[in-house]
Amino acid sequence: MTTDLVQAIQANLLSPAVLFFLLGVFATLSKSDLKFPEPLYLGLTIYLLTAIGFKGGVAIASAGIATVWLPALMAIVLGTLIPLWSYPILRFIGRLSPVDSAAIAAHYGSVSAVTFIAATNFLQSLNQPYEEYATAFLAVMESPAIIIGIVLGKLATQKPGESFLPTLKVALHEACLGRSVVLLVGAMLIGFLSGKRGYDATAGFFVAPFQGVLALFLLEMGMVAARRFGDLRKVGLFLVAFGMLMPLLHGSLGVILGHAAGLSLGGATLLGVLAASASYIAAPAAVRLSLPEASPTLYLTAALAITFPFNITVGLPVYFEIAKWLFGETP
Amino acid sequence: MKLVTIICEALARSHVTALLDEVGAHGYTLFSVEGVGAQGSRVADIEEFANIQIEVVLTSEPALQLMTRLERDFFSRFAMIAYLSDIQVIRSQKF
Repeated sequence: MTTDLVQAIQANLLSPAVLFFLLGVFATLSKSDLKFPEPLYLGLTIYLLTAIGFKGGVAIASAGIATVWLPALMAIVLGTLIPLWSYPILRFIGRLSPVDSAAIAAHYGSVSAVTFIAATNFLQSLNQPYEEYATAFLAVMESPAIIIGIVLGKLATQKPGESFLPTLKVALHEACLGRSVVLLVGAMLIGFLSGKRGYDATAGFFVAPFQGVLALFLLEMGMVAARRFGDLRKVGLFLVAFGMLMPLLHGSLGVILGHAAGLSLGGATLLGVLAASASYIAAPAAVRLSLPEASPTLYLTAALAITFPFNITVGLPVYFEIAKWLFGETP
Repeated sequence: MKLVTIICEALARSHVTALLDEVGAHGYTLFSVEGVGAQGSRVADIEEFANIQIEVVLTSEPALQLMTRLERDFFSRFAMIAYLSDIQVIRSQKF
């Protein structure tokens, strides 16, 4: 297994997506003047979420809801439970404040679409088949953890006599109708309704340029992540360890649950990747608005500068090897 | 007439504009900015690290009300500075 793992990590590191990410990191660390304007970052995000949602919707239509619901339910359960054990770990082992613990727990229960996309790429490069409808798990895992995390944070910071219903309303709105959720779920519904014909009509835009757009986006993500490397010193050793160990734990759990729900090797790997990933689009926006007392340096650095790079370089092959071992494919 | 200038993190936008409505502002101007402040450098690469500047023209009383509310409800929660200046306007009935 060790040689397999080393080979898988090597293969992953040499994919264009990861190489462009590393180029972005290099550009920032070497103080190059390369910079993407914020609207381009937004544009690339919109493209990626729409394309992945649309393709997922088409796949759900061809697989049928009957096949999708059980693993999707597992995904929701995972997303809901992860913040519930992450919170006490952050609070009592990491000794972080209640509101910071809740904010970070929300990020780790929620998911990163780009990590998921990088994982599907990784599986494709190994010719490993996976359930195309797995995008549905991505969609249902975004919101529950954000809501749980914000409720935990509100309970912890509640002053006597103060109702937190108004903030909860803001949180629910942001978690369920934030830009990434609307795009992803909306595009998925459109893909589901328009099916194969819709796919053929839009494949030239949503499918063919996808790899190139992803490479460009990861170049930007490399720069964004590297700009936060300086904050690693501020967040402390505990959070750095948390940002790498929790994904391993959650990734293994996801793979096991995916296996139990009857997913294939590729599908179980994807559920593992989703469980392991930490949100940095939907969760930060919702948490900033609903738990403004929580420090963005902590949760953004953990999700963006620790867990995201860890997952796309080392995490993906590790979760894949765990899945292979569980499915008994390693001699 | 008074000009209130608010420079804050982009994520505070909807909260600030709701407050402007509350104090009775008839309009405002908003633009993206970058800079460095107490909470570090805002390099404006992603929305979480973007800054906006909001300028609003008001008569004295709502302007003071706005500054008080910002100080009371916003400064502890968001990366934000605000300042008040005396200005002269043409068509003062607009504000």
